[in-house]
Amino acid sequence: MNTSKKPKARVLTTFTALIAVMLISGLASTLCAADLKSDAPAPKTDYAPASTNSVTSNATAPETKPAVVKKQLTGAELYSMHCNRCHPERYPTERTAAQWKTIMLHMQVRANLPADQSKLILQYLQENSGR
Amino acid sequence: MKNKMKTHRLKHGLVAVGCVLWMALPPRAAAQVSLADFNALRDAVQKLSEQVQSLQQTNIIREQTHEKDVQQIQQLQEKLAETQQIATNAEQKSIEAAQTQTQPPLREPIDEATVNHNFMMLGDAEFQYVKAAGQHGGFVLADFAPIFLYRGGDNILFEAGFDTTLQNGLNSDGTHDSGSTSSFDLSFAQLDYVMNECMTFSAGDLLLPLGTYSERSAGWLNKFPDDPLAVSLIPGGGIGVELQGGIPLGDAGALVNYQIYGVNGPSSSETNADPTALDLGGNVGLKSDNTVANLHGSPVGGGRLGVFKPFKPHYDVELGVSGQSGEWDDSGTYLYTAGVFDAALHLGPNFQANGEYILTRYGSDQGFVNQQGWWVQAGYKLAGLDLEFPVINNVELVGRYDNLHNAPGSNGLGANTSRYTTGFIYYFTNTLLFEGDYEFVHSNDPSQVDQLILQLSYGF
Repeated sequence: MNTSKKPKARVLTTFTALIAVMLISGLASTLCAADLKSDAPAPKTDYAPASTNSVTSNATAPETKPAVVKKQLTGAELYSMHCNRCHPERYPTERTAAQWKTIMLHMQVRANLPADQSKLILQYLQENSGR
Repeated sequence: MKNKMKTHRLKHGLVAVGCVLWMALPPRAAAQVSLADFNALRDAVQKLSEQVQSLQQTNIIREQTHEKDVQQIQQLQEKLAETQQIATNAEQKSIEAAQTQTQPPLREPIDEATVNHNFMMLGDAEFQYVKAAGQHGGFVLADFAPIFLYRGGDNILFEAGFDTTLQNGLNSDGTHDSGSTSSFDLSFAQLDYVMNECMTFSAGDLLLPLGTYSERSAGWLNKFPDDPLAVSLIPGGGIGVELQGGIPLGDAGALVNYQIYGVNGPSSSETNADPTALDLGGNVGLKSDNTVANLHGSPVGGGRLGVFKPFKPHYDVELGVSGQSGEWDDSGTYLYTAGVFDAALHLGPNFQANGEYILTRYGSDQGFVNQQGWWVQAGYKLAGLDLEFPVINNVELVGRYDNLHNAPGSNGLGANTSRYTTGFIYYFTNTLLFEGDYEFVHSNDPSQVDQLILQLSYGF
């Protein structure tokens, strides 16, 4: 055991460095991708800017604050948010509409999803299901 | 028409009589007609004229009456035609109705049917090869873990998970069992009733929400083939009841998760309160002599409160705190208490990190025993690098650090172990994975050694 300590320490140092590099590169690439996406047109998720028609904006020049319009999340968005938390995403075509109904009740309980969100995800899965 | 003809005949008759008299009578004779005869003849002509006029009026009236009769006849004919059309339509409808009645009734959509698709089997299977330091390598594990689901309507679900394991005799102390061993365990079996939008009641053999590992990360869902060391400090399941649910916070998908439960809890495996006698899931309700009673009469309570905050799909953070406390020894003298802090982070579809800090404390005849451990793991899918190599794009690099302090070991309590694990996952499909990991172990327990683990996992 004693003879293996030094090589082990080197392995541990290398391992730690590899993990650190992996995490940093993963974080950097994902954050970079997020920044690139933020430069793109407004995302479809949480909020959507109000219309920016030039005539309208000129007519209402004093009120230059863009109005914030709340948008309810779709079943596809909720599916992307919740399913990937615990396992690789399953394709909607893997199951039938009836099977998804049973599975989603199981997942609603297991992931503590509100019933309304669970129904939206179920609707998305059923509309894109295998049969 | 006849009256009209009669009138014409009279006119022609009078004219003819006049002509005949004019031609037949000699001029002398005409001259000899008296005034009286002339007047009589004039009166007769006037009467005839009056009769003709009367007949003409009568004829006009009769013509008008006739025209009315013709119109009435036409109207009656039209009504008759309409009546015949209605009768024809009614007959056609009656025929169609009869045909419809003979067709089979429409089937209820299969989605709502009460058979077949309410029952499902999910689960996973794993096959494992291990090469531990100082030992021969071998195929040490074949695991089949089905989960059976039965949905009774929209709000009721029964779910049960089993774990069938075939394991070779690779003992940590260097000995081995003859042949192989197999086990069949009930991992969980619970009845869930969705009470409303934000609350579900569950009863049975529950997976306990001490952290999130037991409920959401075990088996093929985990990115590593074995459990973090620290989860051995807390019970994974218990028999009892639970209320749980998720409360939306705003419209952006944020949630508050809560779970409250009461279960039979841990017990003593040796009837006393020796520190090594703690049996985390032992107070199950039946004594070894088959009498129906728990080893101690005090169930334990616990729960978890978590916050899930998504920023957008695949970008989210979740934090949670959970705990459990209750008596564990037969005499009910000592408490077992556990607390867990858990966290998970997703930054895009390719990066995930999560971990838990676990702290337990329980009383015993030798004083309080404090144990703790924590683990953190991360994975990055190389598909995020957008390289043009299909093999690379199916690989996920993973790393984990975990440790455990004052745990039961081969020399009793007091084992301190820290472990570094690095490896990869190759995704043949989204549910068929090949995992390879190497674990570097530092421990004062000689049974804990470095090892290589290769595992094929399939989720279904």
